[in-house]
Amino acid sequence: MNREQITDEFLLSELRKRFQEKEQAINELESMTQELKNVNTKLKESEQLKSHFIANINNEIINPFASVLGLSRSILDVKANDWEKVKYMAKLIFVEAHNLDFQLKNIFAAAEIEAGRVYPQISNVNVVQVIKGVVEDFENDLNAKRLTVEVFNETGLADKGTFYFKTDSEKFKLIMSNLISNAIKFSKGSNIEVRVSLETKDLVVAVKDYGIGISENNKKIIFDRFTRIDTGINSVNRGHGLGLSVVKAFIDLFNGDIKIESLMGKGTTFTVIIPEPDSTQNIDGYSAEGNEIFFDDDMEVF
Amino acid sequence: MNTQIMKKLFLYPAALYADKEPTQVVTILGSCVSVCLWDPVKQIGGINHFMLPLWNGQGLASPRYGDIAIEKLLSQLLELGSLKRNIKAKIFGGGEVLDFKNATFNIGARNIEIAQTMLNDLNIPIVARSVGGKLGRKILFFSDTGEVRMKFVGKEKPEQDSTT
Repeated sequence: MNREQITDEFLLSELRKRFQEKEQAINELESMTQELKNVNTKLKESEQLKSHFIANINNEIINPFASVLGLSRSILDVKANDWEKVKYMAKLIFVEAHNLDFQLKNIFAAAEIEAGRVYPQISNVNVVQVIKGVVEDFENDLNAKRLTVEVFNETGLADKGTFYFKTDSEKFKLIMSNLISNAIKFSKGSNIEVRVSLETKDLVVAVKDYGIGISENNKKIIFDRFTRIDTGINSVNRGHGLGLSVVKAFIDLFNGDIKIESLMGKGTTFTVIIPEPDSTQNIDGYSAEGNEIFFDDDMEVF
Repeated sequence: MNTQIMKKLFLYPAALYADKEPTQVVTILGSCVSVCLWDPVKQIGGINHFMLPLWNGQGLASPRYGDIAIEKLLSQLLELGSLKRNIKAKIFGGGEVLDFKNATFNIGARNIEIAQTMLNDLNIPIVARSVGGKLGRKILFFSDTGEVRMKFVGKEKPEQDSTT
């Protein structure tokens, strides 16, 4: 008798448990299906955006090239001693060439990331100086929108012009170029602030603009490739929508993180957190140094 | 083996390598999975190191994702002149090491699953594997011979599903 009672209770609880398990499985399946649907739409969109991207190449690359060619020809024709004219045209060439260089760097970076050929080349980088250099490169866009970029070195160092951090200088520069270029694009007449600080050995760089802001929906897609928030026909902003996807991929490579804080109409802050290269204890983390692995007796051979 | 003058490379997560030049590739795997593909006839090979099973349309379509990493690795070997019927695979990694960055806990198992499923679909034989368990792995892959030397990293004793 005793055994039967136990069996009944046991059966009931077992039944309940199984029902719960089944319910859970169904829930999981439903959310998986939903996820699949989302992925499917995304992939379709991605294909469309890719064709859009190729069509865009014309505006983004051929046209600036045409200007560079035309302007340099005009310089050749300038009469002697007309330095002002030459200077003016050289400046225009610089602006077009800088823009081309920036676009091409993003395109090649994206291509290399997608090909799996990206490796960090770590050296001691003066990050403050890199940021100031990037700001200088965008001087023309800044002047055009009457914007200034203020760089704050909040690392507590006496020398505000220097802060050395071990990172990949080229990749860091492209990250900053994209964030600053973005801030310029979406600013509405005020300054842009870049703050550099150090938080428990992590480099933290925050780029703050007082621009139009990013909606919650757009926050989700902003790092996807070929995504441009501002795609209207009257869009004055250039770009392929590759910049932020490159930023994200580089930050992943550094094992870092990027955060967006935004209020519609008030502005946006992108915060980049890059850990010190060797501080990563994560096993999937990496360090090129110290990975001369000793394969001794303990190893297996396949 | 002439290991002294061979080209050496440390493969980063989300990277991919395939070349005609014989290379020793080292990588460290936790929940990530590496698929080594090599062609014993031409003596060339390649390796990837992916972190997540499937590209979900987010970010760039990089070999950070298994589906893309395997497809790209295979197409690179084919470009280098390998015939698909000669290509063989070895897979490593996918341990359940704690990784707080990934919200899903069975990421290792899903990485293994995608590697096995895709290779089966592609009709590429998996001739060796050391996957799962609770430990990380360091592997050294010789791209010409396809040999893989592996060492567990971490504290516990290995309890993995291993077949050669």
